Amino acid sequence: MNIELSDLTRKFGRNTAVAGVTLEAGPGVFGLLGPNGAGKTSLLRMLATILPPSSGSLRLLDNDPTRPTARREIRRRLGYLPQNLGYYPSFTVVEFVEYFALLKEIPPARVPKAVATAVERTDLGPKAKAKLRTLSGGMLRRVGIAQAIVNDPELLLLDEPTAGLDPEQRVAFRALMRDLGQTATVIVSTHLVEDVGAACSEVALMSEGKVVFRGTPSELTARGESHGVGDAPLERGYSAVLQAARA
Amino acid sequence: MTMPDDVDLDRVWTNVAAEVWRREPGRLERTAVKLLKSPGLARALLTTPSLLFPWLVATAVVLVVGVLAQAGAGQPLVWLIAPGVAAVGIAYAYGPGVDPAWELSCSCAVSDRMVLLTRAVAVFAVNAVFGLAASAIPLGTKAQADTAQITFAWLLPMAAICALALAVAVAARSAIAGAGAGVAAWIILVLASSVAGQTGTPGATQHVLTPAITDTGFYLPYLAIAACCAAVVSYATRPQRGIK
Repeated sequence: MNIELSDLTRKFGRNTAVAGVTLEAGPGVFGLLGPNGAGKTSLLRMLATILPPSSGSLRLLDNDPTRPTARREIRRRLGYLPQNLGYYPSFTVVEFVEYFALLKEIPPARVPKAVATAVERTDLGPKAKAKLRTLSGGMLRRVGIAQAIVNDPELLLLDEPTAGLDPEQRVAFRALMRDLGQTATVIVSTHLVEDVGAACSEVALMSEGKVVFRGTPSELTARGESHGVGDAPLERGYSAVLQAARA
Repeated sequence: MTMPDDVDLDRVWTNVAAEVWRREPGRLERTAVKLLKSPGLARALLTTPSLLFPWLVATAVVLVVGVLAQAGAGQPLVWLIAPGVAAVGIAYAYGPGVDPAWELSCSCAVSDRMVLLTRAVAVFAVNAVFGLAASAIPLGTKAQADTAQITFAWLLPMAAICALALAVAVAARSAIAGAGAGVAAWIILVLASSVAGQTGTPGATQHVLTPAITDTGFYLPYLAIAACCAAVVSYATRPQRGIK
């Protein structure tokens, strides 16, 4: 298993963002659904080794991230796209991706090929030498994805990856996620249920810091057959599970 | 000319793109890689000034003004101002809300603490270069003999003040707090030492503001402050802390 969480909890003062989550995940695309404030981003930050848990245990890629050496090893094999991508406006696309390739300790001789591969996979070739300040929101999102996959990660964490992408780009990105999920564990946090239905083999639904559903997208769809609100079957399943959790 | 069917054009193109887009590190970066034993750190170090262009401009302006003031009044304002400027630079060079890619950097194998330290080195280096350049200006004066010594001497108080600013910024998680603490500490130190200097040597007016720099008795305390603050930074940025 690439991810093993046991009773993972994160508190901010009196607020509990993540409340006792237990989860395991191997290779594949894993969707993390939930309304705003459900704890998805906090959970993803813990998986990205940025945010330490308040309690519980966490193992990533067969390593314990509380140990500095192990954490460094995890980070070499980790890709992360935060919800709000910070970037350096004066960098070009290639410079930005290369910068993070170096910070991820990819051997320097392999960096140019890794950068070119990531840029091409995200269809940014024509904009490779463009300054980031000149790019649209959708393009910047793709730059973020490019830096996340530049080290060919075994664990890829994507927080709202399709935000700002147009429909054509979203379809292409779902194909990329499925491709990456062949060998890596891809965790996608989103509130767009159609992304989950199209790309994820498994899904967890979070509400108020807890995982209230875990199963396949079709199992989630089945939960909304008799009740639930939404235009699409998966949306009805999503709302039915949330209503039940809140009740 | 025909092409074999089994050629993977995507792979060929990626190899071509890798060559076309390859960035050759400059001599400075290659040297930094050798010294730091880390291409990532070297890149972070050399990237910092370009990320902090406004800070660089401010530093240059302050030092030029200091040089001009020094030339006019014989008062080494450069060395008085530089530590405060460096402290502000360090405080503003780190942290969420300051570095746009902070969160991404935190998830990388090269530790954010090491990136922070390389950025501190960048601030020191730039100030040292400016300081040395300023030292070379008053040619032919009696002060010239002492300028190099003084320039290096201000690196010590600068190290102490910057370390203090950094420690406060990291501990308080506020660049403003760090910058304020650094500048305030330096002003208090300069004023306190000048008062002590005037008491000790009545009538001495030439270097009324400079005992904090020129008095070698201060050097050991500066080093001690820098060491203590470095320990605070080390503790505050320990991996278990994370960000909120």
